[in-house]
Amino acid sequence: MENTSVEILLIEDNMNDAELAIRAFRKGNINNNLIHLKDGAQALEFLFGTGKFEGRDIKNKPKVILLDLKMPKMDGLEVLTRIKANELTKAIPVVVLTSSKEHPDIDRAYSLGANSYIVKPVELDEFTKVVTDLGFYWLLKNHPPV
Amino acid sequence: MENKVDRDSISYNRVKTMTALELSEEALEAKDEEKNEMAVKLAKAVKELSFQIEEKGKRADELIIANKELAFQSEQKDKRAAELAFQNEQKDKRAAELIIANKELAFQNEEKEKRAAELVIANKELTFQKGEKKKRAVELIDSNKEVDELEKRVKERTEDLESFSYSVSHDLRTPLRAINGYAQMLGEDYDTVLDAEGKRWLGEVRNNARKMGVLIDDLLTFSRLGRKGITKSNVDMNKLVETVLAEINQGNTHSAEIKCSNLFPAIADYNLLQQVITNLLSNAIKYSSKKEKPLIEIKSERKNKALIYSVSDNGAGFDMEYVNKLFGVFQRLHSNEEFSGTGVGLAIVQRIIHKHDGKVWAQGKEGQGATFFFSLPEIVKTEY
Repeated sequence: MENTSVEILLIEDNMNDAELAIRAFRKGNINNNLIHLKDGAQALEFLFGTGKFEGRDIKNKPKVILLDLKMPKMDGLEVLTRIKANELTKAIPVVVLTSSKEHPDIDRAYSLGANSYIVKPVELDEFTKVVTDLGFYWLLKNHPPV
Repeated sequence: MENKVDRDSISYNRVKTMTALELSEEALEAKDEEKNEMAVKLAKAVKELSFQIEEKGKRADELIIANKELAFQSEQKDKRAAELAFQNEQKDKRAAELIIANKELAFQNEEKEKRAAELVIANKELTFQKGEKKKRAVELIDSNKEVDELEKRVKERTEDLESFSYSVSHDLRTPLRAINGYAQMLGEDYDTVLDAEGKRWLGEVRNNARKMGVLIDDLLTFSRLGRKGITKSNVDMNKLVETVLAEINQGNTHSAEIKCSNLFPAIADYNLLQQVITNLLSNAIKYSSKKEKPLIEIKSERKNKALIYSVSDNGAGFDMEYVNKLFGVFQRLHSNEEFSGTGVGLAIVQRIIHKHDGKVWAQGKEGQGATFFFSLPEIVKTEY
């Protein structure tokens, strides 16, 4: 798997949310390669080919990163900062996912360079729609940086 | 007196002349001896006479001088007397002035004493006020400390509330999303395995998850209001009602006839007022939905420097006995089976109107509709 092309990187600590999102992509017929990582540290290791992902071809970049804000160890904002600070990864679109619009870090997320900000809806149909719309836009409509 | 002297001197000269003539004639006529004797006698008499006359003249001259002296002296006396009289007059005047001045001084002394007495009183007053000021300063310092303490506590509470509402929205919604999501996935992906009752139960799970989601959203809206400041602007209430109705009609179907008279414009926070109208109109539609001909009226009036807006319906109404429960959080006068709801809508309305320094109240009768009022202070535009 290490050298196959990855299109969607989902960084989400909640297994239920991840499962719902993965199912939603499947339901929306977005069967692109998706990798799910459970925390920020793992995500950075993946992106920069270190630790567990030592030797991964880091030029194989995801077309979009879905990033949950509230995570243990390293939270979403820190992951976002690291991604946007590195020449290799700063052009990858990052969609911030969170449970509510009450999050105090919305403004910070945008100022750190988040490309989009999505509140995960409680309703499964809505959630499915949001996720498939996201995939459709970032994978099919958006022209990623070369 | 001078005239007399003149006359005397004339008569004296004449006597002298006559005597000389007579002597010479007699001398001619008399015998030598006799004649000589007589002549000597005569001469003596003449000499005596002329001496006497001369003396008289001298005396007269002296008298004249003395007279003149006397006249001069009396003149001087008169002058002095006049001077004295003048001086006396001046003295009298001065004396009178002195009396007045004395009186004035006495009066001034009295005044000074009075003032001194007043100053003593004023000093006492000042000392007292100084004492009071000190007391007040101490009190102010104390109350400032209290205010600081309170502000600190309010800040802490607000921070608590903020983190609470965040964790409510995040931590409660996450499991709710899972419950709802998995229930739906079960229904969709295991459709063939579940019988009708199983599917109904799954439906109930999802219904309740959805309700809880709405409740969390309402609660968050309510708690957000506490922190959010208001931005006032001129609000065209007619347009606002139009916007709200368009939104409501998009969301659900209803058969209510909605009458809206020409409403007074308000000065308020547009978004918050929109929330108020949305809640009141949604309620009116909801609680009149079971009537054959639901009717909703929106009105406004000016009264006692306030603008009063009302939304009335001919719906389920309420018992006035429970009127004070209407605006409480989570307080409901109807069961969920009758009319669904979370019991937060009117609490939000009240909170928004209170933030605008207005009031909310309601009138109703069970089964005969309800009217909800809110007032906004009429802000007079400052002249410039």
